[in-house]
Amino acid sequence: MRGAFRVWQRNVTIFRKFWISGLFPNFIEPLIYLAALGLGLGAFIQQGGISGQSYVQYIGPGLLASNAMFAASFESTFNTFVKLRFDKIYDGIITTPVNAEDVIAGEYLWAGTRAALYGTGFLGMLIALGTAFGQPLVTSWWALLIPPMLLAIGIMFSVLGTLFTSLIEHIDLFAYYFTLVVTPLFLFSGIFFPVENFPAPVPQVAWFTPLYHAVNVCRELATGPSVGVLVDVAWIFVFTAALALIPVQIMRRRLIG
Amino acid sequence: MNTERTTGPLTRDSTLVARGLKKSYSGFEAVKGVDFRVSGGECFGFLGPNGAGKTTTMKMIYGAVIPTGGELAVTGLDVYHHEREIKRRIGVVPQENNLDDELKVEENLLIYGRYYDLPSKLVLRRAEELLDFMQLSEKAEATVEQLSGGMKRRLLIARALINDPEIVVLDEPTTGLDPQARHLVWDRLRALTAEGKTLVLTTHYMEEAARLCDRLVIMEGGRIIAGGTPKELIEEHVSPQVLEFRAGHDAIEALLPAVESAAEAVERTGDEVLLAYTQDADALLDEVRKSGVDVKNTVYRQAGLEDVFLRLTGRSLIE
Repeated sequence: MRGAFRVWQRNVTIFRKFWISGLFPNFIEPLIYLAALGLGLGAFIQQGGISGQSYVQYIGPGLLASNAMFAASFESTFNTFVKLRFDKIYDGIITTPVNAEDVIAGEYLWAGTRAALYGTGFLGMLIALGTAFGQPLVTSWWALLIPPMLLAIGIMFSVLGTLFTSLIEHIDLFAYYFTLVVTPLFLFSGIFFPVENFPAPVPQVAWFTPLYHAVNVCRELATGPSVGVLVDVAWIFVFTAALALIPVQIMRRRLIG
Repeated sequence: MNTERTTGPLTRDSTLVARGLKKSYSGFEAVKGVDFRVSGGECFGFLGPNGAGKTTTMKMIYGAVIPTGGELAVTGLDVYHHEREIKRRIGVVPQENNLDDELKVEENLLIYGRYYDLPSKLVLRRAEELLDFMQLSEKAEATVEQLSGGMKRRLLIARALINDPEIVVLDEPTTGLDPQARHLVWDRLRALTAEGKTLVLTTHYMEEAARLCDRLVIMEGGRIIAGGTPKELIEEHVSPQVLEFRAGHDAIEALLPAVESAAEAVERTGDEVLLAYTQDADALLDEVRKSGVDVKNTVYRQAGLEDVFLRLTGRSLIE
């Protein structure tokens, strides 16, 4: 596993040079959603909001989860594909004692780290904005557990993204991933409206999707969790563990003839 | 007396041994059972055209491809069970340029050193020495993008040396480089052999093989078709002197009888080129003059590895 750490370290070294440009998709963008939908749409939502919260308070923590999803998804799709196919970085690494399994584990960890880093920054922003506008978006000390959970959520989406990346030959195929997987998840995981109000089977199907549980975890930790949050946390770990080794095997075969 | 070799920190085994090494890809046999033995401290070459199986063989040596059959031992360890340990002891200069473009020259070496778990101080010191050795010291802080093709290749070689390997594997080290860059790389590789490192390289350039390699094998269609020192290969397979006649198609046809009777071997490498191999070029030239055929251009040269390849396969090395 030392090897995985080295691969992670490489990403950190490069990240240090470019972290500012990463702020835009991973930080500024969710802020824009918060402002536009939270305040704009929120103005149309009746008093009492959604289960006692204003709309902004409702969507804020949810955006934490989706932010982690986007960060990890871009890292494990486009960035990984470019490293694999164009820059041939992984081919170079596996001529050293760091092998293919280490590479993928290191990349999972890195995508999770990215998600957690920017996510924590966004969390800080949510707290600041909430306090400034008198509508606290984070009301519980349990929120301190959000950064490590963002790491886990980031790893989960990295596993999913890497799985897709390991199977495709052309970079344009990612359009399918983002349109058919990421975007529906973004819209139907309870960030902008509760999915419980939809007719069956929508809420049931949503229960089997990753972002739904990530959103629940972030929302519960931000406002004071019920015991039910343990189910969501467990779901995330089980889902990640179940899938994690598959891309490793596929990538190994791709890198080693 | 038991002379069993033990590998460990005290004895650096820098040899390679292959027996019946094979690689097939769903029906296509890239390497059809090759045997070779590389001794410590020598520069060993695989010469052959594109598609001969040289790169696949190199990849089996450094673990990027798993053989489908046969034996292969690198530094005394077999590739099927000890790939990680082998990788610790070798350095690889790949055919493609897979440098970290976002990083500076020196950073590329530092990052690579980490993969070997080398202490940072050691890596820093080695990086400086290697940049100096490969004549890239001035460019230590430059980004990879700013380097020329030849510099990038030298950086790849420096990178392959960061773990002070016993064996360095180079896949087509000077392909795509201009002559000046190529000569500099050859000079540095010779310096490496002088230090006692074992070099294993592939090439389709006869001159490279002749200049650098102590011994080489010629590969074609997944098989080794000849082996030895450059001198041995030439002496064994072709006459020492070559006359190249260039003339119009009809003139060449008219020339054939005279040349064929006087030369030891003849090769046609095109409509207007005739190669004649002989021990006595002067005598052959006399015959040609006697024939009265008007030859536009005659070149006299020593036989080289290109001629050996031509003799053995009827094709030239560079298509």
